[in-house]
Amino acid sequence: MSEVKATTKKAPISPKKIRIAALLAVMGPGVIAGLSDDDPAGITTYSVLGAKYGYQMLWVLVASTIALIVFQDLGARIGVVTRQGMIGLVRQKYGARAGTLSASALIIANIGTMTAEFAGIAAAGQLFGWSRYLSVPLAALLVSFLVLRGSFARVEKVFFIVSGVFLAYIIAGFLAHPDWGQALKGVVTPTMPFTHDAIYIATATLGTTLAPWGLAFIQSYAVDKRLTRDDLKLLRVDVWTGSLLTGIIGFFVIVTCAATLNKQGITINDASDAAAALKPLAGTLAKDLFAFGLIGAALLAASILPLSTAYSVSDLTGRPAALDDSPSEAPLFYATFGAITALSAALILIPGAPLITILVASQIINAVLLLPLLIYMYGIAQDNRLMGEFVATKNMKIVYATIISIVAFAIGCMLWFTVIK
Amino acid sequence: MKTPPVTGINTVAKRITRRADSVLERKNIRDSLVSVAGLIGRPIRDETGRDIGKLVDIVVRHGETTYPPVSGLIVKVGNSTSFIDGASISKLTHDEIRLSSIKVNLEQYKRRPGESLLDADVLDHQIVDVNGLRVVRSSDLYLAPLDREIRVVGVDISFRSFVRRIFPGSISRRPTPEHVVDWAAVASLADGTGVVRSSESRAALSQLRPADLADLIEDLAGREQGALIELLDPDLAADALEEMQDDELQGLLRGLSSERAAELITRMEPDESAEVLRDLDVDHRESIFAEMDSKIASQLRKLVSFDETLAGGIMTTHILITRETDTVGDALKLLVENRERDISDGVVVVDAKGKLLDHIQIIELVAAKSSAELATLIGPPFPTAINGNTRLKEVVEEFANNRGSSIIVVDEKNKPIGRILADDLVDALTTDEENHGFAQGSGAF
Repeated sequence: MSEVKATTKKAPISPKKIRIAALLAVMGPGVIAGLSDDDPAGITTYSVLGAKYGYQMLWVLVASTIALIVFQDLGARIGVVTRQGMIGLVRQKYGARAGTLSASALIIANIGTMTAEFAGIAAAGQLFGWSRYLSVPLAALLVSFLVLRGSFARVEKVFFIVSGVFLAYIIAGFLAHPDWGQALKGVVTPTMPFTHDAIYIATATLGTTLAPWGLAFIQSYAVDKRLTRDDLKLLRVDVWTGSLLTGIIGFFVIVTCAATLNKQGITINDASDAAAALKPLAGTLAKDLFAFGLIGAALLAASILPLSTAYSVSDLTGRPAALDDSPSEAPLFYATFGAITALSAALILIPGAPLITILVASQIINAVLLLPLLIYMYGIAQDNRLMGEFVATKNMKIVYATIISIVAFAIGCMLWFTVIK
Repeated sequence: MKTPPVTGINTVAKRITRRADSVLERKNIRDSLVSVAGLIGRPIRDETGRDIGKLVDIVVRHGETTYPPVSGLIVKVGNSTSFIDGASISKLTHDEIRLSSIKVNLEQYKRRPGESLLDADVLDHQIVDVNGLRVVRSSDLYLAPLDREIRVVGVDISFRSFVRRIFPGSISRRPTPEHVVDWAAVASLADGTGVVRSSESRAALSQLRPADLADLIEDLAGREQGALIELLDPDLAADALEEMQDDELQGLLRGLSSERAAELITRMEPDESAEVLRDLDVDHRESIFAEMDSKIASQLRKLVSFDETLAGGIMTTHILITRETDTVGDALKLLVENRERDISDGVVVVDAKGKLLDHIQIIELVAAKSSAELATLIGPPFPTAINGNTRLKEVVEEFANNRGSSIIVVDEKNKPIGRILADDLVDALTTDEENHGFAQGSGAF
């Protein structure tokens, strides 16, 4: 107590304020990584899940959110303890081929996902009457400028403000007047039709919630932010908050679509369809909020994706890079960032580019990549030499192994159905 | 903050010389290089060419020489892994390893101090490229016969060689010696039990500027970071630590033993030490104090107790205190004794009760007679003195008003306790500016 008194006397800041300041300083990686999982690809998947299966498969989202919490938490811990990014560790522990293969798959999947983000911006922009030839390049420039030119403290603030748009989904959810009883039932009773489409959408939900690039990002970002072991407790609060928010927003998207589109038997292909279809059912405000949320989500994810890729590439080559390095210090880092952004924006703008194929393929690569990545993380988590006192406990190992088995089963089912079909 | 000695042409010339007498310059060695990355997984055969098992890892022994010799092999025989002593190797090519003794002793391998496993500990791990001044991952390691033993002679840090390893078949095993750096020019930081202590890399590291070393330390992962610190001469390590960013330094100290942390902090400038200690949590700080010389610890405790926004929080306690009855000769002797400290530009003179009288510049001392009492030199201009609890803003004003290069800090009884130099003020003001950011203390970008 006397210690606290002494602190208070010297600095005119109350201990409580200090704690909030400390939390805010650490806050960011988890919330940003978590929320950027609710990107257009994610919102599309959740919309389709809700529109097609109503409230029935809400439990898939719950399971995915639990998996997200567990593995984002692990990723953050690995980053803080080892102070190395995911791909660098995979190279170190599993060798050159494993490292290169993971990095290559990550790059391809990230380009695909990045394209999906720009597609989301283009589609949502069109709902407001903006041409994609204007909205997409503008978005690409905006995210590059924010991430590369802004000081990161400022960028983080912008990210926080941007993530505020996710409130739009919660409001849209209430405007749709869902059947809360049915929703609760869907959350707690794990049932689903055993069909190709249902398995596919369940796996996609898992894959889009627990995205490989998100896992790679949280680890690199914790390293870049130079978080230390003392920050772990606060970082955990941050990661759990971010992951839970991801689940909550996903829940409202599914509920919105279940209450409106599913009830009316309307089928949709993507999130902007969902937004458009909402208008007659839940009003113009719901539609606008939905579209607005989509743009914000896309911008957030479009900032993170090239960053995550750039971290991974620098990591693989063994040249650690950070955002406070200048382009001449870390040419590869900035070249990767620029290339991913430019390439994905170009793919959207090329007339007649096979967008659907790109999006579907990147979703599949993401899902398939997820499995080895989780297994690598599991291996790193129980490596005494890497993790020291933070090595996974017996109980945590069981939790990790269980989630990995479920992911493996889902991906197996999806591939089986895809091959059979 | 100390100004690091500038690496002059001299050092560069030395580096070039070292490269020229590198063993890699010898043709027979260049031609006989074997890639470690390529060798892992290759068959181990006996004299007759019969397969015994597959190579899992290579054990090397550090310490005695610059180029560590292979002390054994870890081999997978059937479903179990065993250790084979290095003495039984008769031939080692990039395709296979032949053993000489007919009866090979297979034993369980246990990590021993001073040994490391090339695949598990060094390959693809972070190493410090001392010439290139950067942290890289090793893409490959090369073995060659040298002084009747097979030794690690080179390390490959090029990305091209890393890419080569991805390809299947013999391409992945072919050495690419054009990218090899002499083992002596890198600092490998991995060892099962402790630290690789190669005298060569230590010598090379000791030639770096503290600021460059600080950059290297910041780029390393936690485990390797501690290892590099262990490798450095404590004085140099302390200089490098002073150059590190505050949050990085805190993270580093958390990873070190209290004993080592105390050793380094003792060697740092007191104001810098106090700054980092202030940010550590109480328990950790006390455990470091416990390992320190009690006199230094109590001095640092006093400094730590001052807030960073006050004069006492940014001052250095390095002042040379003399009595008015001391002679000029005594004062000069004191200055010479403390010449290592680059702030010794004069002495502070106090009266019999220890109260501040004057600060006498070294030039005045030199000009005076050596037998003269310091009291005879006391006179205007008198130094600016402020209390330890003076706010930073007022300190700046004082500096602006008197245009001197330093201010004396005194306690309530007017006894000198420290000094604020212009550069301390610059440091304090820059940190203050940075801290206005939202991500304060996390060092975020």
